[in-house]
Amino acid sequence: MAERVVVTSVGIISALGIGKEAHIAALRSGLSGVHYARHLQSVHAAELMLGEADLSNDELAVMNGLPTGDNGYTRTTLLALTAMQDLLKTTDINLLKNEPFAFINANTVGGMSKVEDMYLDLISEYTQPENIKYIDTLDCAESTQNVADHYGLKPFMATISTACSSSVNAMLLGARMIKQGVVKRAICGGCDALSRFTVNGFYTLKNVSRSLAMPFDQNRTGLNIGEAAGFCMLESESSAIARGAKILAVLSGYANTNDAYHPTAPSPYGEGAYNTMQQAIQMAGLQPNDIDYINAHGTATLNNDLAEGRAIQKLFADKMPYFSSTKPFTGHTLAAAGVIESIFSMWSMQEQTVYPNLNFETQMEELTISPVTSLIDGVSLKHVLSNSFGFGGNNVSLVFSSK
Amino acid sequence: MKQPLYIKSACAISPQHTFRATEFPLELVSYDDGKMFVIDPDYTKYVSPVAIRRMSRLIKRGIAAGMQSLEDAGVQQPDAIITGTARGSVTDMERFLTDMIKLNEEALNPTFFIQSTYNSVNGWLALQTKATCYNQTYVHRGFSLELSLFDAQLLLADTNDLQNILVGGYDELTPEYFFIRDKSGYYKKEIPASLSLLQHSDTAGSIAGEGAAFFVASNEQGDATCAIYGIQMLTTPTYAELAAATDILLSENRLTKEDLDVLLYGINGDSRYNHLTHPFLENTSGNTTVATYKQLCGEYDTASGFALWLAQLISKTQEVPKEVVYRSGTSASVKNMLICNITIAGNVSLILVKSI
Repeated sequence: MAERVVVTSVGIISALGIGKEAHIAALRSGLSGVHYARHLQSVHAAELMLGEADLSNDELAVMNGLPTGDNGYTRTTLLALTAMQDLLKTTDINLLKNEPFAFINANTVGGMSKVEDMYLDLISEYTQPENIKYIDTLDCAESTQNVADHYGLKPFMATISTACSSSVNAMLLGARMIKQGVVKRAICGGCDALSRFTVNGFYTLKNVSRSLAMPFDQNRTGLNIGEAAGFCMLESESSAIARGAKILAVLSGYANTNDAYHPTAPSPYGEGAYNTMQQAIQMAGLQPNDIDYINAHGTATLNNDLAEGRAIQKLFADKMPYFSSTKPFTGHTLAAAGVIESIFSMWSMQEQTVYPNLNFETQMEELTISPVTSLIDGVSLKHVLSNSFGFGGNNVSLVFSSK
Repeated sequence: MKQPLYIKSACAISPQHTFRATEFPLELVSYDDGKMFVIDPDYTKYVSPVAIRRMSRLIKRGIAAGMQSLEDAGVQQPDAIITGTARGSVTDMERFLTDMIKLNEEALNPTFFIQSTYNSVNGWLALQTKATCYNQTYVHRGFSLELSLFDAQLLLADTNDLQNILVGGYDELTPEYFFIRDKSGYYKKEIPASLSLLQHSDTAGSIAGEGAAFFVASNEQGDATCAIYGIQMLTTPTYAELAAATDILLSENRLTKEDLDVLLYGINGDSRYNHLTHPFLENTSGNTTVATYKQLCGEYDTASGFALWLAQLISKTQEVPKEVVYRSGTSASVKNMLICNITIAGNVSLILVKSI
């Protein structure tokens, strides 16, 4: 029996702010971070509400001790650096310098947020010299490499891109490497910055809302796109105990499956979501009725919420746990969504609180279940499930358990 | 982690006539303009006529190479699908991005956006094989395929079942992508004919290539003729670090440098890495036959897939094709092979392959 994988530190930046205190305050007060864009320049800016992080690129650069202006760092990397900085408040960096570890990052469009503004210049005959340094930032590994370099770290590195399940796949790989004894520790997560490319991609697919997203609502009209970065320090339980680290939660189960149904849409009956949740619960050695809370993928698109809702209703038919989508707080932060929602799930357990599914008004006709709509305090949550389902049918569910 | 990763089949779509080849191509294709595009096979066998019309070249290529390698291994449905790509479908990204800018974010075609998503080949392969199993896409530059193989090893180490895992690496070259990357100094200013690339290792840069290579990797030997015994990924190593990593990889497998029969040497003709590649070659045993491959496939982030295809072919035919021999060694065997792939960014991967 391989040893348990635990989470010992987390770091996060989203539209709700930076770090635990800011996030918990917003999650408790029901204050969403979704608003009209302040930084993203898009012709759709006036009609789309976004989960945009408050700080500008220059402000993020200053926070991370970098020069402002054209410093070679994209917003994607600046968000990742900020989340890592937050994680390192509760992790001694010397631990990472002295012992091997893995750094597994994820994102969907690399440094597109920067490159899209200079692309015509890059493909012109006479590119501005100051733009040349951004050429390689268009790939997904740029943020991974830059974060490691910034902190002078030489970990085992990997970058994953499976659309909206990217960062939980990063956690899954880290957990598997720890279980196999390849490393004792892995910092896993993901980052995505808002870009016109992504906003327009979802816009042309007609699954973005013109108002605030309403997950699991009969009258939902689509998602709000957001940006975020989050990392979790996964560690073998024995090494966490040996160094006296505080254990936030046990990553007790995980599953990765594929819908094999359609390039962008889940099966309307949610077979993929059902299988993923079931496998993750089974791996944790649990039954569905052991799950106390589900942090749902809940994007507020017509397709996702129908498929996921039906899968939840079927799998948990005996005893329906609390469930909510926290995406109305942060927007759908794509590659980062899974890890930041995992962090929220662990905080839920730690704080004995279920954070609400904002903006829910009308029961879905196809479902008999409905999400938690206002904060619930003082509940004992022993096992929570976090769902992340992506384009390409890439589904992941994680189970976190209190230690 | 020490169990071998058997390679039951290998399929490469490349700038050479490699697709479905059972022996080394009789005629090699040389490219004069520094851009080595693949020779596209007939894709209609692999994709439905409805789907194929909207599908971009990289997606078709990934599907065809993936499906053919499954067929060659006699596997209908894989137990996992793991692929690596540094940049995914560049054509789709370029189309969506350029349209977005030029059309001022109006009336865009979502197909380009969807296909530009890095995991779209994986999604299609799952659809085509109805495989609801583990599905993963690595996007870590020059290590994207290596990480996929590493993940396959990890999966198989965690199971007692016999499993077949579809592993692949693919990247695409476009004229626009070449044009942009050329500005970073990746490619040679004076462009040699591709087949003589390595005779021009005194100038900076390489020549551009592309390709898709897929494998069925398994913990069951079956009809496999070779297996992977170890993978190392080194980010911008010094020569000393490269030499040390090579020694560790060999000694972990109870081998010495003298035991290496074949070195598949992924030098790319870029003089900026001669400080790594020259001493590495000098310290290779006289027993070892050194073979090169970048003159056949060009430089791209998942070029180690072409090398692994070549290693599998050598294990099958039990000879190193004379066309790829860079320096003959005294060993008559082709048992122990080391792939050493040097990327355009100076990262190095090592893959130890043994013929069975």
